[in-house]
Amino acid sequence: MACKVGIPRALLYYRFSRLWPVFFEKIGCEVKVSDETNKATIDQGAASVVDEVCLPVKIFFGHLDWLSDCHVDYLFVPRIVSIEKKAYICPKVMGLPDMAATAKKDYPPFISPLINNIRGEKDEEYIRELSPYFSCGKKRLKQAWLEAKKEQARYDQKISKEFWIEEGLKDDDPELLNVLVLSHCYVAHDRYLNMNLLEKLKKAKCRVVLPENISDELLERAVKGLKKKPFWTYGKQLLGAAFWFSRMPGRKGAIILTTFGCGIDSFIGNMAERHFKKAGIPYLIITLDEHTGQAGLETRVEAFLDMLRWRRKHYENNFPTYGEYLDTIARDAGIHRAYSCCTSHDK
Amino acid sequence: MLEYIGLTVVVPPMTSKRTIVLGTQHAPEFACLPLKINIGNFIEAKEHGADTFLMAGGVGPCRFGLYGQLEAEILGDLGIDYDALIIEPPDKGIWQFVRRVRKITGSASWLRVLQGIHLGYRKACFVDSLERVVESVRPRERAEGTADRIFKQALFTIDRASNNTELEEAAGLARQKLQHIPQDEDKDVLKIGLVGEIYTLLEPFASGDVERKLGRMGAHVVRSIYLSDWVSDHLLGGFLRRKGQEEYKKYAKPYLNHFVGGHGIESIGAGVFFANNGFDGIIHIAPLTCMPEIVAHCIFPKVSEDLDIPVMTIYLDEQAGEEGLNTRLEAFVDLLANTKKTGLLDRSATIC
Repeated sequence: MACKVGIPRALLYYRFSRLWPVFFEKIGCEVKVSDETNKATIDQGAASVVDEVCLPVKIFFGHLDWLSDCHVDYLFVPRIVSIEKKAYICPKVMGLPDMAATAKKDYPPFISPLINNIRGEKDEEYIRELSPYFSCGKKRLKQAWLEAKKEQARYDQKISKEFWIEEGLKDDDPELLNVLVLSHCYVAHDRYLNMNLLEKLKKAKCRVVLPENISDELLERAVKGLKKKPFWTYGKQLLGAAFWFSRMPGRKGAIILTTFGCGIDSFIGNMAERHFKKAGIPYLIITLDEHTGQAGLETRVEAFLDMLRWRRKHYENNFPTYGEYLDTIARDAGIHRAYSCCTSHDK
Repeated sequence: MLEYIGLTVVVPPMTSKRTIVLGTQHAPEFACLPLKINIGNFIEAKEHGADTFLMAGGVGPCRFGLYGQLEAEILGDLGIDYDALIIEPPDKGIWQFVRRVRKITGSASWLRVLQGIHLGYRKACFVDSLERVVESVRPRERAEGTADRIFKQALFTIDRASNNTELEEAAGLARQKLQHIPQDEDKDVLKIGLVGEIYTLLEPFASGDVERKLGRMGAHVVRSIYLSDWVSDHLLGGFLRRKGQEEYKKYAKPYLNHFVGGHGIESIGAGVFFANNGFDGIIHIAPLTCMPEIVAHCIFPKVSEDLDIPVMTIYLDEQAGEEGLNTRLEAFVDLLANTKKTGLLDRSATIC
């Protein structure tokens, strides 16, 4: 009988949403990915860990609780130390299996391989880490791993091509606003957590740019000017996106979307904020927590977008042709280039 | 050490309420307390005429590694003109380390630099060994505050010592003085292990003076980290690696099996070590939002349950009200004393 593996839909699941399920399916496991976050997940998660941890980790625990009620045989709680060379994820993610092991509830046994790419990525290491958990041979594991990796790469390519604009809108619509949403992938894609902010922006005629839409090469180049590169993957990505975005011409605004208690964003968000201030780019900082009232968020976002539109109109009145010219070219030259770079770069 | 090689050192005024106010005003809201105090210190040092600041670096994943960069940016935006010198640990490349040190030392000869480093390190070691004596004397002394007064005086003389002979003399004298403090030998003293994040452990103002308060309440406090440990581990890249910290890491298994940056794993390891060595309780202190210590905090209930030792976690922030802290410490000490007397442990009351 195939065993059932539960994967919590939280934290880095959003980064590897194809890799992990496909891998487990290929080696003959039944995969159960938890449902999208809802109020019960957050409440349950907040009850099972100490108050001081950040919201995404609380949500992770909520998903663990949900899965352990689903009679899965194993829970997949990897210890993710690093997903790229010379950069960590974050201390809390590194200690996740240990934190989960001490949580109050009795969970099913964990599958927690160590994922550490700090010295470069090696497939053999993964296989070695994973093999104690499975009875099938290393060859089969490796095959499954490689196939899963291919699937993930295909998916990455697909989403990087996706334009984050409302359907039916044309790409060169003069009404379109460019808005960069600076946030970690597990905040940007968790629709309950961020109160569906991305959809709201799209509906309000915005082109939403996420850090993950920008290719790694561009990000790497953007942070090169810094005296010291941040040693967190997401720190680098966010700061790189901020630098890159501010260099693109055209009218635009940035939303720094962070969660309460995020240690990395307390530094990186502040650095990005200082940068935006100096570059003269309007920005809005939203800190998400357990509150569920949407009106506050909506009002702030609306006001921000109104301000952006007002700015555009105001400045375009002052410098009519040049401003307009700059704006349309910008969208084609700037944002488009990034997208095409993205697609050509992905293997 | 820097004075030894001919630089003028501006020591910022002792951390005070004003330091924290200045720091919190300019630092990011959710940053940890040490960053806020650091910024306050730098602003105050500027008022006293400093023109270059020296910061240790790091390679993560703890936020401390980016302190220097963020501080340089914040101070720059404030219009405070500082030259930032950030020393990265040698494991990032020995030549970079050497170059940076060279930039600080200027024309002083290498021998002089090494001698300076050595003297500074020895001073730290002496201060630490004296501190251990103070910790054991404090709960037993007949006249409250004697040990602290002697220690304060010793810090001053050790700081002024400009060569090894002077240093040894100053430290030896202080040690003798400490050992001759009249003590109550029969007093029943609790042993409490103090673990947690290094800055809050070492800086009395940041920690609300937890260590001294516990001492006065009649507890022999032993810390998991002393200054010389950190200097040898981080700044000198473990060339002089000593046993202490490495050993604590071994004890952390199976509770925490991977390093999580900062001193998370040391906190857990030291906690287990203290529990196995007959301590009565553990106090875990950390700045609010400290990432590695949050991981440790999550794991401590399990340690407490398995090893049957009460653990209390205290988070520190810019809040200056002292009474809340006093009440918690008193309650904890009372609980430990009661447990020791009756041999009973009320499980539901021990995890705070």
